[in-house]
Amino acid sequence: MNGISCSINALNGLYNISGVEVGQHFYWQIGGFQVHAQVLITSWVVIAILLGSAVIAVRNPQTIPTAGQNFFEYVLEFIRDVSKTQIGEEYGPWVPFIGTMFLFIFVSNWSGALLPWKIIQLPHGELAAPTNDINTTVALALLTSVAYFYAGLSKKGLGYFSKYIQPTPILLPINILEDFTKPLSLSFRLFGNILADELVVVVLVSLVPSVVPIPVMFLGLFTSGIQALIFATLAAAYIGESMEGHH
Amino acid sequence: MANMIMASSKPVITTIVASSSFPSTPKLQKTPQLSLPRIPTPNLLKSQQIPTLKSISLLTLTSLSFAPPSVAAEIEKAALFDFNLTLPIMMAQFLLLMFALDKVYFTPLGKFMDERDAAIKEKLSGVKDTSEEVKQLEEQANAVMRAARAEISAALNKMKKETQLEVEQKLGEGRKKVEAELQEALANLENQKEETIKSLDSQIAALSQDIVKKVLPL
Repeated sequence: MNGISCSINALNGLYNISGVEVGQHFYWQIGGFQVHAQVLITSWVVIAILLGSAVIAVRNPQTIPTAGQNFFEYVLEFIRDVSKTQIGEEYGPWVPFIGTMFLFIFVSNWSGALLPWKIIQLPHGELAAPTNDINTTVALALLTSVAYFYAGLSKKGLGYFSKYIQPTPILLPINILEDFTKPLSLSFRLFGNILADELVVVVLVSLVPSVVPIPVMFLGLFTSGIQALIFATLAAAYIGESMEGHH
Repeated sequence: MANMIMASSKPVITTIVASSSFPSTPKLQKTPQLSLPRIPTPNLLKSQQIPTLKSISLLTLTSLSFAPPSVAAEIEKAALFDFNLTLPIMMAQFLLLMFALDKVYFTPLGKFMDERDAAIKEKLSGVKDTSEEVKQLEEQANAVMRAARAEISAALNKMKKETQLEVEQKLGEGRKKVEAELQEALANLENQKEETIKSLDSQIAALSQDIVKKVLPL
C-alpha cells in the first residue's frame, strides 16, 4: 500500500513536470475586470517585433533596395496583391487593415512556435502565441465584421441593406445568418488551428521527447502561416464582396 | 476531447474522486487536464480498489460533458472560452498597431515604391522619345551630307569646264604659234631653196661652160 502511494506520488510528480495545462490563464485585475495577462504580454512582444523591424528596415529607402528593404517591399507587394485581387480597384485604403491583419496573425503564430517562451515562468499558466486565446481571435473577427460593414455602408449608403434580399427574398434568413457565421468561422478557424497545433506539439513532446515532434512543429509553422493568409484573404474577400455590385 | 472543452466540470469530479481514493495528490484537483493520461496510470496501480468508483466517475464525466455551457458557467468559470476585458484590449491594440504600421511602413514605403515605378516609366518613355529625336537628327545629317556632296560635284564640274576651256585656248594659241613658225620656216626654206637654185643655176652655167671648154678641145 505504501509502495503504491509512493509510486503514485512519483508518477504524479513526473506528470506535473510534463503536464499539459490547457485553459490556464495568468489573470490580472484591471478596474473591475480580469484580463489574460499572458495574451497581453505576448501581443506586446509581437507588436514590438513588427514595429521595430519595420522602422529599422524602411528607414532610408534606396532606389536599389538593401536586403531588409527588399524583403519589406516584397511583403508590401504581396499584401497589395491580395487586397487588389479580392477587393478590386479601390483597394488602396484597405491595404493597412489587411496588411496589419496578416502581419499580426503571422508573427503571432510563428512567435508562438519559434520563440522560447518557456524560459519565462509565469505564476499561473504559460506564455504562448497570443492567437491561441479566444479573445484575440474573436477580437480580430469582430474587427473584420465592422470593417466590411463600414466598407459596404460607406460605399452604398443604406442601399447596402438591399444585398440581404439580393438574389431572392427567400434567402433573407440565410443572408442574415451569414453575418453571424462569418466572424464565428473566422475566429474559430484561427483559434482551433493554433491551439490544437500547440497542444499536439506539447503532448508529443511530453510523450516522445526526441526528434519525433520536429516534423509536427514544421507542419505547425506551415499551417499557422497558411491560417494567417486565409484570415487576411477572407477579410479582404468580405470587404470586396460588400463593396462590389456598385454600377 | 469533449471533456477538455467542458473542462470546467473536471475539477468538481476530481475533488469527489480525489477525496476518496487519492489522499496524496491534492494538486491534481486544481488543474483541468487531459483525461487520457490520467485514467490508465491509476488503474495499473489500484487494481485492489473498488472498480465501481471508476465507473461512477466515468458516468458523471460523460453526463456533465453533455451539459449546456450555462451549467458549466455556474459550476466554475470556463477556462477555454473565457471572454473578458482582454477582447476589447486586443481590439484597441490591433487598431493602434494598424495606425502605427500605416504611418511607419505602409504609407512611406508604398509612396516610395510608387514614385520609383513612375520614375522608371517616365525614363522608359523618355528613352523612346529620344530615339525618335536621334532618327530625326540622323536624317538631317544625311540631308546635309547629300547637299554638300552635290555642291562639291557641281563646283568640280564647273572647275573642270573652266580649266578645259583654258587648256583648249592655250592649245589653240600654241598651235597657231607653231603653225606660224612653221610657215615662216617653210617660207625661209623656200627662199633658201630658190636662192640655192639660183646660185646653183649660175654655177651650173659656169660649170657647164667649164665642162664644155674642157671637153671640147681647142
